[in-house]
Amino acid sequence: MRPLPGVPAFVVDVVRSLLAVLAAALVAGAVIALLGYPPVEALRALLGGALGSGAALTATLLKFAPLLLTGLAVSLCFRCGVWNIGAEGQLYAGALLATILATKLMPSAPGWIAVPALVAASALGGALWASIAAALRAGRGVSEVISTILLNFIALQLVSLAVHGPLQEVSGAYPQSDALTAAFRLPAIGRLHMGIPLAVLLAGASSWLLFRTAIGFRMRAVGLSPTAARFAGIEPDRQLMSTLALAGAMAGIAGGVEVAGVTGRLFESLSPGYGYTAIAVALLARLHPLAVIPAAFLFAVLEAGGAAMQRGAGVPSVATDVLKGVVILLSIGMALGRQRSRGRETGALGAIGETV
Amino acid sequence: MSRDATGEPTRVSLQGIDKTFVPGRPVLRRVDFEIARAEIHALLGENGAGKSTLMNVLIGLIEPDAGSMRIDGRPVDFGHFAPSDAADAGIAMVHQHPTLVAAMTVEENMCFGDRRGGARFDPAAASSRLRTLVERYGLEVPIGGRVDTLSVGQRQRAEILRALDRGAKLLILDEPTAALTPGETEALFPALRRLRDEGCSIVFISHKLAEVEALADRVSVLRRGERVATLAVAELDARELGRLMLGRDLPGVARRVAPVAVEPRPVFCLRDVWTTGPRDGSSLEALELELRAGEIFGVAGIDGNGQRELEEMLAGVRPLSHGVIEVAGTPVEPGVTSLRSHGVSLLSGDRERAGLVAGFRLWENWALKCSRDGPPYFPNGLLAAVAARRDVGTAIERFAISPSDPDAEAGTLSGGNAQKLAVARELSGSPRVLVAVNPTRGLDVGSANFVHEQLLALRDRGGAVLLISTELDEILALSDRVGVLARGRLHGLSVGADRAEIGAAMLGGRAA
Repeated sequence: MRPLPGVPAFVVDVVRSLLAVLAAALVAGAVIALLGYPPVEALRALLGGALGSGAALTATLLKFAPLLLTGLAVSLCFRCGVWNIGAEGQLYAGALLATILATKLMPSAPGWIAVPALVAASALGGALWASIAAALRAGRGVSEVISTILLNFIALQLVSLAVHGPLQEVSGAYPQSDALTAAFRLPAIGRLHMGIPLAVLLAGASSWLLFRTAIGFRMRAVGLSPTAARFAGIEPDRQLMSTLALAGAMAGIAGGVEVAGVTGRLFESLSPGYGYTAIAVALLARLHPLAVIPAAFLFAVLEAGGAAMQRGAGVPSVATDVLKGVVILLSIGMALGRQRSRGRETGALGAIGETV
Repeated sequence: MSRDATGEPTRVSLQGIDKTFVPGRPVLRRVDFEIARAEIHALLGENGAGKSTLMNVLIGLIEPDAGSMRIDGRPVDFGHFAPSDAADAGIAMVHQHPTLVAAMTVEENMCFGDRRGGARFDPAAASSRLRTLVERYGLEVPIGGRVDTLSVGQRQRAEILRALDRGAKLLILDEPTAALTPGETEALFPALRRLRDEGCSIVFISHKLAEVEALADRVSVLRRGERVATLAVAELDARELGRLMLGRDLPGVARRVAPVAVEPRPVFCLRDVWTTGPRDGSSLEALELELRAGEIFGVAGIDGNGQRELEEMLAGVRPLSHGVIEVAGTPVEPGVTSLRSHGVSLLSGDRERAGLVAGFRLWENWALKCSRDGPPYFPNGLLAAVAARRDVGTAIERFAISPSDPDAEAGTLSGGNAQKLAVARELSGSPRVLVAVNPTRGLDVGSANFVHEQLLALRDRGGAVLLISTELDEILALSDRVGVLARGRLHGLSVGADRAEIGAAMLGGRAA
């Protein structure tokens, strides 16, 4: 698709993403029909399960917050040309440090300091975890694609080790941490915790950083053309380090928010793969932090609605995985089409198209 | 060393070779080229003279538009002359950048593309054949060693051995000494002479006069797609060769003399500047340069003699290992941000990759080099889009850049318009010094003239221009003084140096 003259680029982007979703829905519908289930009914069950009631909507919003935060982490990195596949590990690292703080370091902290400290600790945990990959890349030239993926497994195993060992609840009944004290639980209305508006706020802040500040300008310059950036006095390695740390902090907050806002404890299967779905979220949003909001919401609907679809229409919830996969492929495919229509480097999305 | 090769039968003869890629700009024009049996034939020429194209015709990569070729007296049908046919005829080329598989041993590499053994992969047999060749020619290579553990010289010797193993009777060596240390170069020559004495023909592409004199029997010179001379090495003379390579001074290229008196005190100096890098003659060595306000200093030279290293060093991308950059007497750190703050602009020679960010809008490219400056485009670390849009708009109007929308992406600009944008950006803020690297590469005549006018205008306003270009005509047309960059060293020439003298300096010969 060639960009139309006179149509702002972001309108074209929005239309492309909506088309990707629509096409993915059709393909998923076809798959469901082929499996022998009525697609319209399945869709109704899915949407009903995600949005149909107050409780359903709440469940969706609870999934929306970590998807948004990790989606931002991926978007910021991809914008800077850093292929961070490690949001999942960064989420767990944030959750781990937050839990250590809340259950071991200062379990009796008063409420006014407990929550800010917990959010800060989770951000720090994620940032440190991501910085390992940054240091390996800047110092040793290790591809961050590999290191962030491997760090995901290490983070997961560390959490496993912690909840089977030093962090395990005092009763020793299950492999999970002690429950956080009330002071550390995020303020909430019903089950809707403060992490949800915080995530939306951070999306706005990310957008501002990326498009309105010198730091964001340098990040984007490096992402679009590392060579030109270097010739303009920007050091790609420095941008890489700061961007990965920032992204790690976002993903880490997702982990902290999950523990302090939803589960109240740390355990092994804290995240159903938010950090991986985040890649699809970021691509569908075309790496724009504000667009990550609706993209994350869409995937939250799929996550929450998939189970309902299985219950309501008997359709295996893997059908939603098909939907997710098709969305990713179409997002990348359209980026490729755009690149070819111009025959030039288009930066992050184009590079994804090239590498995939 | 010179032998009368004409009496011997010809190995390969090319007659009337024409090749044009872009209509109206022929790369080869009725080139006749003969390589005798048992001779080392040097091939000289500027960048773009047609050397590579001619060699690619020889090895079957390029089919010429017209002309004929005979190998050992037998005519060749260009329509059915693939690289494999050239290889079967015993023609092999050793490229500047070795083409061995890095993760495999030398002997394993020998088996690739070797069709004698059918589908068999037999490194042991290759190994024993190699050992014989190594001993015979003294081309030392660790046969069992992985290619990526080999030095550049060893890899090159391995390539030559591979060619010999295939029974090459005509070896084409593309600047074989460019990446070699002096010791390795000395070791290579006896092997080549021995090959020649056994009847092998060698085409030796080089820019170094001393090597041509030491090794070759005959020299052919290409200039703008035409073979202008073939000489016996005994007849060589550096000035004459330089003249042949670059042509006579064109009448009518008016040199515009600086209207204002050049200030005696230099505004921009490089003092004893060295850069690190591969020892291929492209690292800068003991570079001395003084640039005065109100002059254009032209740095000529053949590509790969340190132009890129100089640009990268100034941009802060390549470390300055020794020496000082001085602006108006003050030592200045290399790097775009630091140089800009002292009024030195750098117009990159690679606008597509280094000069502009293709995915950035025009106004973002306008602000690109200022991201550490603060005002006007980044006050308090914030991006002042309004100011950048306004200023790029002014430049778009003044320089007639198309498209004229500040929000257009730079990647959509044509080469000429992209360069206009880059020039406008580097000239904004009235720099004292402009370093321009190949400022008109790839531009049409109109855009090139425009860029030239801008450089002259800056000089006439009292600015200083360091013009680094591989286009000699451009250097001669614009420069008040001229130097030549050869093997990482800058050779200053007397005012009014002619083409012969410049050519001799490019070849590293003594400017008589």
